[in-house]
Amino acid sequence: MKKVNEIMNKVKIKTTINNRSYKLDVLPNQTLLNFLREELGLTGTKCGCEIGECGACTVLINGEAVNSCLVLVPQINGKEVLTVEGLSDGEQLHPLQKSFIEHGAVHCGFCTPGLLMTAKSLLDENPDPTEEEIRNAIAGNLCRCTGYIQVVEAVKNAAGEY
Amino acid sequence: MKPFEYKFSDKLDEILHILSQSGTDAKILAGGTDLLIELRRKPKVYPGVIVDISFVNELKGIFEDNNHITIKPLSTHTKIFKSDIIRKKAYLLSEATSQIGSLQIRNRGTVGGNIMNAAACADTVPPLIALNAEITLRSQNSVRSFKLNDFFIKPYKTKANPDEVLTEIKINCLPKDAKSTFIKLGRRNALSISRLSVAAVLQQDEDGKIIDARIVPGAAFPTWQRVVEAEQMLIGEKPGIELFRAAGAKVSEVMISYTGRRWSTEYKEPVIAALVRRALERCSI
Ligand SMILES: Cc1cc2nc3c(=O)[nH]c(=O)nc-3n(C[C@H](O)[C@H](O)[C@H](O)COP(=O)(O)OP(=O)(O)OC[C@H]3O[C@@H](n4cnc5c(N)ncnc54)[C@H](O)[C@@H]3O)c2cc1C
Ligand code: FES
Ligand code: FES
Repeated sequence: MKKVNEIMNKVKIKTTINNRSYKLDVLPNQTLLNFLREELGLTGTKCGCEIGECGACTVLINGEAVNSCLVLVPQINGKEVLTVEGLSDGEQLHPLQKSFIEHGAVHCGFCTPGLLMTAKSLLDENPDPTEEEIRNAIAGNLCRCTGYIQVVEAVKNAAGEY
Repeated sequence: MKPFEYKFSDKLDEILHILSQSGTDAKILAGGTDLLIELRRKPKVYPGVIVDISFVNELKGIFEDNNHITIKPLSTHTKIFKSDIIRKKAYLLSEATSQIGSLQIRNRGTVGGNIMNAAACADTVPPLIALNAEITLRSQNSVRSFKLNDFFIKPYKTKANPDEVLTEIKINCLPKDAKSTFIKLGRRNALSISRLSVAAVLQQDEDGKIIDARIVPGAAFPTWQRVVEAEQMLIGEKPGIELFRAAGAKVSEVMISYTGRRWSTEYKEPVIAALVRRALERCSI
């Protein structure tokens, strides 16, 4: 990392996004959410409220679920970012993705990428969560369609395959 | 977001130097969960420089020494509530941080940001004051310490200067036999911002008499403080529902003596009394 960054406009960063490394010159006054969608074309991450309340923009930074609407792009310098596009293994869907489809947990789908990422961070840390732990983990992901029941079932079921 | 100059370093000394050169329109960035929202709201005074301290490892970690715990300001709410030291020796802070926002907010938001933002609903502040927290602020040329309860002027206003970084929060470990809790009342379960909260600590001797009592309401007073009048009522007594009810009523009375009666008082008066009673009950089981 450069010691003191004196560059006025753009900031040089190195980062890994979905297992690919990037060296980038970024404008600092944009959120990670906008950068992913507008500059990298990774539009799987959704833009809902932009104030940290809906969770549609959830991505993982170094394995932790965060709201990408509350991260400035230069803050991912040296970090690993995972978005929903990086969840599957090539054509092979992630167990969570399969389980969401099987349990009808995807209705309009707007909340799904965020929910998948939050659920992944939960299962990576706790492969056998209780219903309460699942509900607690996804409390920051709003879904206006499903009523959460299918989502909770889907996460529970995917946990079995972890 | 309007443009600003972005500066960062992974060394505290360099951060302090940048701040000393930046003038009053510099703003420190930690987890960004308050600041980014503020920037998007287009504040009247928009910062010219954002100084990102999130890479400074010296400002991370939780350490115990000799009955004290030092919490570095970049500790996230997740790190604090997962810390064994905090769970064992400062339980109420663990309870408070576990309830903040959502998983995503807890993973990102820091205790330093929570204190420095100084919102009336900041959930780490009542527990920290109950734990007799002292904080250290550093600038290029100065080091200042404050008792946390002396640090706030009013909501969103502290005694810190713009070139000062909060570098350390020091709390006393709770005695082994003390019990503590933090209760918050929001409008809903998930992602709720505290309408009112209470941090409480009780310690009893072998005969069951209360020898230490601490009560710090949140979002109730103009600034946070222990309600000594209510605490004193408990010392030397044995726990009981009537005693706790009286202490709750006392806290309401003191609150009104500070805030006067306003539109929200009709709601807050009985609710804060009930929260205090409930918190004390939890601490005496
Ligand atoms: C959806 C949502 C829900 C929330 N729920 C809660 C809740 O339940 N309870 C609660 O208490 N809060 C809540 N918050 C508020 C926020 O998450 C916390 O206050 C958080 O701890 C702020 O920390 P941060 O690191 O993100 O601060 P930042 O946004 O980075 O900074 C906040 C302020 O502190 C200053 N600052 C930060 N660190 C330092 C430092 N070391 N030295 C000097 N100045 C510093 C910054 O300049 C800025 O003015 C919520 C926020 C959101 C968006
Ligand atoms: S868009 Fe980020 S939380 Fe809603
Ligand atoms: S499926 Fe429509 S918001 Fe969740």
